[in-house]
Amino acid sequence: MPLEVMLALVIGGIAGIALLLHLSGRSNQRVLTPEIAREEWRRHFPDDMIVDVTLAHDGHAALMRTETGPGLLWALGADTVARHLMDFDWLDHPKGLEIFFHDFGAPRVLVRLDETERRHWRHLMEPA
Amino acid sequence: MSDQITYPDVVQWAIPFFIAAILAEFAWIAIKGRGGRYETRDAVTSLIMGAGNVASGILLGFVAWAFFMWLWALTPLDLGTSVWVVALCFVLDDLRYYWVHRFGHRIRWVWASHVNHHSSQHYNLTTALRQTWTYTFTFMMVVRAPLILLGFHPAMVLFCGGLNLIYQFWIHTEAIGRMPRWFEAVMNTPSHHRVHHGRNARYLDCNYAGVFIVWDKLFGTFVPEQEDEPVDYGLVHNIGTFNPLRVAFHEWVAIFRDVLRPGLTLRQRLGYAFGPPGYSHDGSRDTSGQIKARHLARHPELRGTAGFGQPDRPSARPAEEQTL
Repeated sequence: MPLEVMLALVIGGIAGIALLLHLSGRSNQRVLTPEIAREEWRRHFPDDMIVDVTLAHDGHAALMRTETGPGLLWALGADTVARHLMDFDWLDHPKGLEIFFHDFGAPRVLVRLDETERRHWRHLMEPA
Repeated sequence: MSDQITYPDVVQWAIPFFIAAILAEFAWIAIKGRGGRYETRDAVTSLIMGAGNVASGILLGFVAWAFFMWLWALTPLDLGTSVWVVALCFVLDDLRYYWVHRFGHRIRWVWASHVNHHSSQHYNLTTALRQTWTYTFTFMMVVRAPLILLGFHPAMVLFCGGLNLIYQFWIHTEAIGRMPRWFEAVMNTPSHHRVHHGRNARYLDCNYAGVFIVWDKLFGTFVPEQEDEPVDYGLVHNIGTFNPLRVAFHEWVAIFRDVLRPGLTLRQRLGYAFGPPGYSHDGSRDTSGQIKARHLARHPELRGTAGFGQPDRPSARPAEEQTL
């Protein structure tokens, strides 16, 4: 196949499919409830005993307290990703907290929090 | 000896079919309200990975090609190009695929290339195109050496590999339940391959087949899809990014970080590079065998069922056969 034809097919195909999916509502972020957060955490870490769940007000992230320490669950598109808060840094961000994992496959999460939530989350994330 | 044989690059010619099939699957899901899920960024990432795979083939394909032509010059055997030779080549190349795929799940160096194919939490036709950019660096092209030394021309071997890849496209779907029993018995199907993409403890490290599922049955790695255990797609530790560069290279970066840790012995460094995924020198991570063992500790009633035949490896046979 001529290279220019293949390029047109690939670029046009990707752009067309992306537009179709977006316009049909497939770009929405997962919204968590406490029950969903617990269920999702257990999916990621079946051995953990969950103590409690603190949801961000937008429902796109949850701070999980477990018997082995705190963890973060967040929406990645329609799904979720979870990490224990062990090897990480955080920075204040105008929209909340920016959490950096030292992990090339999950480098950074922006958790949207209001001022009250931010203080509470900072307290919960501190090591016991 | 025939050096000037050419076959069409079937994967490139299949691109219009791939696009049409994705649109058809999406339309089916949207109309029926079942049969899978699509997410915009996930799908776009998968498609970009597919495009990158074709690009990496164009840029790095000469490495494997030079190696194959060197072998072709060495071998005194030439089986020719008859239809039957192509058919035999296809079957043997599928056996080659089974072992490369199995190595890809059991050796971290090879897993670093293959992991991106499993990095989506979705399972649809775009997932099929979420292919590696770094296969050349695994050196798994050596597994094709016996085929070429036996007298199959390198162009024919690559042609059969392309057909194999195209076959595997349609099995990445939830829109098809089960195929007729005879087909499920011999061929790799959406049902068998859904299991392969599962992160459930039961479904880890099984169903490596490309086209013929008989290889898994022969080598004891077959696990059938269970009606009462839906497949949870993705990785044991799912990645948190849609960035194609991070998807392509995250496990390579992790390997180099582990191998270069201070204070390790040479054996431990080699374990991080070439041991099974999940190896750790201090027991801080779990291999698939350990994940299965922990799952069995929580659910002892599952011992001996499909996927839990032995604590350290998947069941060789479906649960209903094990009772016979």
